[in-house]
Amino acid sequence: MRLVPQGTRDRRLLLELTPMVDVVFLLIIFFMVTSEFARDARAEMELPLLPGEQMQQSEEVGLSINIDASGNILLSAAEEPLNLDELKRRVELYVDGEETPRITIRADRSGPMGVFNSVVRVLDESGVSSARIATEIPR
Amino acid sequence: MKFNTRKSGGGNRLVMNMTSLIDVTFLLLIYFMVSMVIAKPEDRLNPTIRTQDASASGSEADFQPQIVEVILVSNVPTYRLGQHDLATAEMLLEKLRDLPTDLGVFIRGGDGVPVGFAMAAIQAARDAGFDQVTYVPIE
Repeated sequence: MRLVPQGTRDRRLLLELTPMVDVVFLLIIFFMVTSEFARDARAEMELPLLPGEQMQQSEEVGLSINIDASGNILLSAAEEPLNLDELKRRVELYVDGEETPRITIRADRSGPMGVFNSVVRVLDESGVSSARIATEIPR
Repeated sequence: MKFNTRKSGGGNRLVMNMTSLIDVTFLLLIYFMVSMVIAKPEDRLNPTIRTQDASASGSEADFQPQIVEVILVSNVPTYRLGQHDLATAEMLLEKLRDLPTDLGVFIRGGDGVPVGFAMAAIQAARDAGFDQVTYVPIE
């Protein structure tokens, strides 16, 4: 902060705002860069608390199938729940355009396995032989 | 943006009014801070998935299958490995460590079991050193 020398006639206190503006812009850039807009595919849920395979895996998201605690199937947080027929259609559409389809099932840990099993059957019928199951790494 | 030209000591000084710029900048900063989602750290389990029909087809890989069933016994989620009914994933892991890992293992999940409990069986199989873990829904 720089104050104008008192010898001058203009005795107003002048704040040097440049460093503050610099810092604020840097903060904005930080939040813009770290905001995860692409994570829309992840619906909010409590995943199984497991360490997973702890292997370096491709970050390519592919198709995320979310199953919430009530058994609703969602392909993204913004979409309406799908029924199994619609899910099958969407999976087949995705698999057709992919050489190595990457499908991740994100299922709420407290939900029953019934819907999960139905999703597995849909994937198997659509020719998908493996799926990644998302877990939340325990802290 | 408003520029004021003010006479000071005989010279013209350009004074830029930064107030509105700083207002907007702070609003942007607040927006990004509020809308930021702190993502929970996630990992993956990557089992092969098959349906009941496929696992019963009697392929070479199914020779002497090692099967863990995740089922409800008296309404309590239980891991069944051969004759053993196991209450926790830790007990299952202990038993799985005694089995040969080169044959692979099938995890079969029943509809009524919580997702987190069934996924813990896949995690236990991975932790026990099984490379080939296949998930099969129980019909």
